[in-house]
Amino acid sequence: MNDGDRDAQDLIKLTYDKLSADAASDTVLCPSCGAVSMFIGTTRNNFEGKKVVQLEYEAYIPMAESQLKKIFCDIRERWSTVRHICVHHRLGVVPVTEASVIVAISSPHRVQSLEAVAYCIDALKASVPIWKKEVYETEDSTWKENKECLWAGGTLK
Amino acid sequence: MNTEVLVLYFAKSAELAGLKSETISVPEELTSQQLWQELENRHPRLSAVREQVVLAVRQEYVVLGNQRVSLRAGDEVAVIPPLSGG
Repeated sequence: MNDGDRDAQDLIKLTYDKLSADAASDTVLCPSCGAVSMFIGTTRNNFEGKKVVQLEYEAYIPMAESQLKKIFCDIRERWSTVRHICVHHRLGVVPVTEASVIVAISSPHRVQSLEAVAYCIDALKASVPIWKKEVYETEDSTWKENKECLWAGGTLK
Repeated sequence: MNTEVLVLYFAKSAELAGLKSETISVPEELTSQQLWQELENRHPRLSAVREQVVLAVRQEYVVLGNQRVSLRAGDEVAVIPPLSGG
C-alpha cells in the first residue's frame, strides 16, 4: 500500500537481557500507522501478603515461538488493519519492578492495536509454554499458574 | 515396535523428575495416558502433578487421556505444567 512501509512484521524475542520499551516500540513503527499500542508486564513485589524478591522464568523456547506465531495469525484475522506485532519476553531472573513481557502492536488507528494488545497478552497467558517461579523474601518459592491456562487448578475445562 | 523419543521436563515437573531432558524408548503407538505412565514409571514423584499437566508432542498440546499418539524416532515430547508466562 505505502511505499515507505516494510512488509508486515511478526517479531518475537525471548531473552535473558533486560527489556526495553523503547526498543520494542521502535520495532513496530511504520509510516502509515498512527498508533502503537503497548502492554508491559512487570514484577510485582507482593503476593498474598508475602514479599516477592524476584521472578524466575523458563520457556520451551521453540514451542513458545510457534505458539506466539499462531496468536499473531489469530490477531491478523480478527484485526485486519494491524501492521506489526512484537512480543519480547524475558527469561531467567527478573527483579521486582523490571519488565518481564512487552507487547507492542502498530495499526493505522488506535482501536485495533489497543484491542489486539489486550487479546495478545491474554492469549499468551493461556497458551505459550513459559513458566514463572515467584521467589519470596523467606527464600521459599512457588511455580505460578495462570488462571487463563486450561489445565491449571487440576480440572481441564 | 518401540521408538526413541526425547522427553523435556519443565518447571515443577523438572524439579520432581530431577532432570530437564532424557531419551526414552516407548511404543510407537499409544495413548497420551499411557505415554504419561511411561514417564511416571521412570520418575514416580511426577504423580504429584498428574492432574495438572498436559503433554506436548511435536509441539502440539495433548491432554492426558485416550487420545492416540503416534511417535517417530527423534520426536520431542514435553511435560507441560500449568502455564505462567506473561
